[in-house]
Amino acid sequence: MMRVTISVVETINLRKTYLLGKVPVNALQGVNFKVDKGDFLAVLGPSGSGKSTLLNMIGALDKPTDGKVFIEGVDVSTLNDNQLADLRRRIGFVFQFFNLIPRFTAKENVELSMSIADMSRVERRKQAENLLETVGLKARMNHKPAELSGGEQQRVAIARALANNPRFLLMDEPTGNIDSKTANEILGLIKRLNEEKGVTIIMVTHDQRLATQAKRAVQMFDGVITMEIVN
Amino acid sequence: MKPRDVFSYSFSAIRLRKLRAGLTTLGVVIGIAAIVALLSISQGLQATITEQLQKGFATDTLIVSTGGGFGLGAEGAMGTAGSGFKLFVNDTQTINEIENVTMSIAIIQKAGYVQFGGKNRTVTIVGVDFAEYASIYSSTFVAESGDIPPYPGNMTVVVGKRVSDPWKNETLFCNVNDDVEIKWTNATARPPKNETYTGHVSAVLQEIGGFGVVGPSDSAVYIPISKAESFFGTDECDMIIVKLENDDKATIDSTSKAIRNAFDKQVQVMSATAVLNILSSVFSIIELFLGGIAAISLLVAGIGIMNIMIVSLMERTREIGILKALGMKSRTVLMVFLGESAIIGLMGAAIGIGSGWVLANVVAIVFRGGGVFMGGNQAAAGAGAGGMTITPVLTPTVFLGALLFGVGVSVIFALYPAWRASKLKPVEALRYE
Repeated sequence: MMRVTISVVETINLRKTYLLGKVPVNALQGVNFKVDKGDFLAVLGPSGSGKSTLLNMIGALDKPTDGKVFIEGVDVSTLNDNQLADLRRRIGFVFQFFNLIPRFTAKENVELSMSIADMSRVERRKQAENLLETVGLKARMNHKPAELSGGEQQRVAIARALANNPRFLLMDEPTGNIDSKTANEILGLIKRLNEEKGVTIIMVTHDQRLATQAKRAVQMFDGVITMEIVN
Repeated sequence: MKPRDVFSYSFSAIRLRKLRAGLTTLGVVIGIAAIVALLSISQGLQATITEQLQKGFATDTLIVSTGGGFGLGAEGAMGTAGSGFKLFVNDTQTINEIENVTMSIAIIQKAGYVQFGGKNRTVTIVGVDFAEYASIYSSTFVAESGDIPPYPGNMTVVVGKRVSDPWKNETLFCNVNDDVEIKWTNATARPPKNETYTGHVSAVLQEIGGFGVVGPSDSAVYIPISKAESFFGTDECDMIIVKLENDDKATIDSTSKAIRNAFDKQVQVMSATAVLNILSSVFSIIELFLGGIAAISLLVAGIGIMNIMIVSLMERTREIGILKALGMKSRTVLMVFLGESAIIGLMGAAIGIGSGWVLANVVAIVFRGGGVFMGGNQAAAGAGAGGMTITPVLTPTVFLGALLFGVGVSVIFALYPAWRASKLKPVEALRYE
């Protein structure tokens, strides 16, 4: 008997062409890969290799020119605007520049993604505190981003990404804007989330060193995957 | 996202830019305050004028004249322009026979003077049957001091309050039991001739306060109709006041028509209610005009809101990208932006209504002060409006209308920026610096 498991993310011959001014850029030229539940995949590549474009496709922020993106078996290209928004609630984004809302405290930032998902006030307050404790920032949860260090801001961003029990975390250079010591701590946190809580993680980075910490890594170059490394 | 969360999100965005939001709100405040102040003053003025007119009016009366409109009450002498048709004192007999008429009285009135103690005052000399006049205008043709005799002697004179006390300060021009000279210049005689007789003041009327359009006036002197006929040397009257059995519209209309027909359509029949209706439609136009001017200032405020929302949209493009990446729907982004402008509109309208109301009251106080000032120092003012009291009126309609208008304008002008915000593509918005 065969057991069919649905991948968390699967791309089939993914292509994306966009116009940079008037020049068409073939950012993705047929990308195929799969991420299963509990996986920790690093996408490596120099700038311009198409990794950010790939991330936008997987994150349902943009639509492919050709090919398919399946998230938990659902073809993203068939979804309308509202359905895409609903889908994004279940994807935990972590950005290089944190992208916290400056006027909100750490706790309010974490609560925001839950309030977008219609969670009740009491519930999300409790959840936000738990998550900030998980990322080790409970003591500073009433501080605004400007009062937090880069590492602390990224922890808040990770807590926010985890808020709606996402299918997977999608990280874009999560340590790219942080000093190396703090970067190690953040990486430790990410690994811990993957190993202890079974959170599926896709991380885009140009840092070879980070890739060794992931379970798997793929190397991108000129819009295609050139190599796959299993650690 | 729950409505309450949308609201608090919008509110947090406003709070972030207090000065800017404050200035935008100020635009709405000024617009709404102007509307509320103008409308409550003009409605107050309308109420005052209507009330003052109604003092001199009886709704169950008709005024029959030979033409020239309701200006007749003050200076009736030139009513006969046009056809040359004349009404006479004994025409009341014809009118009395018409259905629904309970009584009719003729009025002869001329502009003249009263002389007492070496001083002259311009007055309207009105010849009426005292008893019948008092029965029609039972609330205004009432003596404050002295008596109005039902069967007056030839020399009996009843004077209005402003004739007795023209300066409103108890310095009396004449009083009960004074013998005053009644003067009139007959301009139709060649050469013009001054007529004079000495009358005896038997009563001073209580203050009426109206404008003397129709009915008893503060600045008139009343003499018996028979004396008027001999003094003015004519039995041609200026108007006939007709009292009806009731003030139903049907009665008023049918009787008006019957009276016109009885005089071969040579007379004009005016009902008190018709005059009030004309006045109230004039006021509606004035109100609309003033409201329109005030609305323009709100339009300017609306453009200000649009401007500020577009700036805000530019500044927060990245924020919108984040919200969309977190799964916020386009519709919710739209609501967040509309919510911001609705809050600004609501605050502006609320403060605007309050300050408009204060402004209206300040204006009313200034008006009242000015009125007293005029009455106290200018003798000439005694004959006219004097100090007029305006009580600003804020009706629930104006209140709710202003609130809705303020919020409505704010939301409408925010529609375009909000729509643009909601249409932003998440990838592009996130990339925006």
